Amino acid sequence: MKQSKAASWSVNLILSLFAVVSFFPIYMSVINSFKTQAEIFDSVLALPKNFSFDNYIGVFQELNLLSSAFNTLIVTIVGLAGIVFCGSLAGYKLARTSGKFSNFLFMLFVASMLVPFHSIMITLSQMAKGVGAQGSLIGLGFIYIGLGVNMAVFLYHGFVKAIPKELEEAAKIDGCNDFQIFTKIIFPLLKPITATILVLNVLWLWNDFLLPLIMLTDVNDYTLMLSINMLFGQYAADWPKILAALVLTALPVVVFYAFFQKYILEGIADGAIK
Amino acid sequence: MTVKAINDKKNTSVNVRKKEKKLRTKSSHLGLILFVLPAFVFYFIFLFIPMIGAGVYSFTDWNGLNPTYNFVGFANYIEAFRDDPAFRHSFFFTLRYTIVVFFVQNIIALFLALLIESRIKSKGFFRTIFFMPNMISLIISAFMFSFIFTNVFPELSQKAVFSFLDQSWIGDPKVSFYSIVIVSLWQGIGYMMIIYMAALQGVPKSLSEAAMIDGATIFQRLRHVTIPMIMHAITICSFLTLNGAFKVFDVVYALTQGGPGTSTQVMTLNIYQEAFSNNFRFGYANSKAMILFLVVLIITIIQIRVLKRKEVEA
Repeated sequence: MKQSKAASWSVNLILSLFAVVSFFPIYMSVINSFKTQAEIFDSVLALPKNFSFDNYIGVFQELNLLSSAFNTLIVTIVGLAGIVFCGSLAGYKLARTSGKFSNFLFMLFVASMLVPFHSIMITLSQMAKGVGAQGSLIGLGFIYIGLGVNMAVFLYHGFVKAIPKELEEAAKIDGCNDFQIFTKIIFPLLKPITATILVLNVLWLWNDFLLPLIMLTDVNDYTLMLSINMLFGQYAADWPKILAALVLTALPVVVFYAFFQKYILEGIADGAIK
Repeated sequence: MTVKAINDKKNTSVNVRKKEKKLRTKSSHLGLILFVLPAFVFYFIFLFIPMIGAGVYSFTDWNGLNPTYNFVGFANYIEAFRDDPAFRHSFFFTLRYTIVVFFVQNIIALFLALLIESRIKSKGFFRTIFFMPNMISLIISAFMFSFIFTNVFPELSQKAVFSFLDQSWIGDPKVSFYSIVIVSLWQGIGYMMIIYMAALQGVPKSLSEAAMIDGATIFQRLRHVTIPMIMHAITICSFLTLNGAFKVFDVVYALTQGGPGTSTQVMTLNIYQEAFSNNFRFGYANSKAMILFLVVLIITIIQIRVLKRKEVEA
């Protein structure tokens, strides 16, 4: 499509303006995280006089961010592994079984996707207390499986429907049992949808705030988002340090984004269309 | 061999076949149960039972501690609607927030997607920049913005061009409504933009070119060619923004805590405080939770109806 030069430049200009607005808060947070409190008092817009990492070092020592990151990692891994494992097994079998019972189970999973988390959080916290999942990182991961598996079942179900049955039948003749067919033949074929499911869930688990807030009681178990929430109690209005902590916590996700951008963007687009 | 013997043989073979069939359906049922069981157990304990529980407790005066409670009919619901001004306020606040975010987020996301898709060289760059905020959690975003609102904007507003930024962004509830909207938009637009971009890539170039040759202006092409072709993406993004906006929590919690007073409280925050700040009115809190569920359900049904009709027409 041909465009006049002027039109093309004005599009570039508009996009650049939006880009500046979009990037501005990040830029501000980063440059001010290198300043001293006196410098911030002087001007927040100016560049720092010297890029000292004192705030970062201070925050890193005082906040125990590494242990929070490790806690978040445990929850995320347990949750993701469970969602993929349980979701793929159920989604596959439900897609391959016809009949009322199978349809009923599938509808049960799908219908629950509409339930807002905030509508069940009160009874969920009671339930978590009852089964001993409250105050435990593994328990928190298990809860994420319960909350996230319905969408995984739905996505796997749709994907399996498009895979021809011949492969499985051939494997059956060769003497494979159901479980072997699943692990050796089906699961490898599910790779693209598994990637989508991982992308859609990893950020939710890593960045989620309210569920850990309700479930975790011991400060030593806090995830990154809960530790961030305590910053203002700890640093009052010491903005350079608060910003340094924010930048540090955001960094892993941004690095993750830099490496997996292609998969993340594809995953979001694919997940939405289905 | 007598006739009887032959008949016997026939019978047994029929029986065996019947048994085999029975066994096979039994084993396929067993297989189904075994495969679905892990997912179902987690789902049942952490989603299904809490959902049913919320429904049941919403009709009781349970305090969350006592093993006993009484059924009180619709008393909780009536109280929530009639005698709870904070809850009613939170409902309308959330509704207003949802409407604003729904329109602005979708319009800007679609606008950016259209502009970026027309680029060739700078496409990847702009996509990265606009999507980046979505990777940063809402909690972190809200804290970053509270620095922007309380420190950066006051300094910027001293320059004449930006004097409109001289507002009490967090302290004045009228303004902090927009602060909450701004953070949500900043964080959320990129996600919708990605979905719109994917849909736009599916629109055949030839259609738009044919319309151009026929003399259609850029807006006519948008209205009659592009928009109808990406209607499914509009449905999805509407669903995501409407649902997400009604469940807003993190931004408000981190930015204003619902204050000053309860002036910027959203529904989820109202429910959270009713349930977890030691009022011990679990039955009542659950009735509010159920109201939220019903609202989301109604919105979803209406929205799917309206947009599906449009999709068919297109």
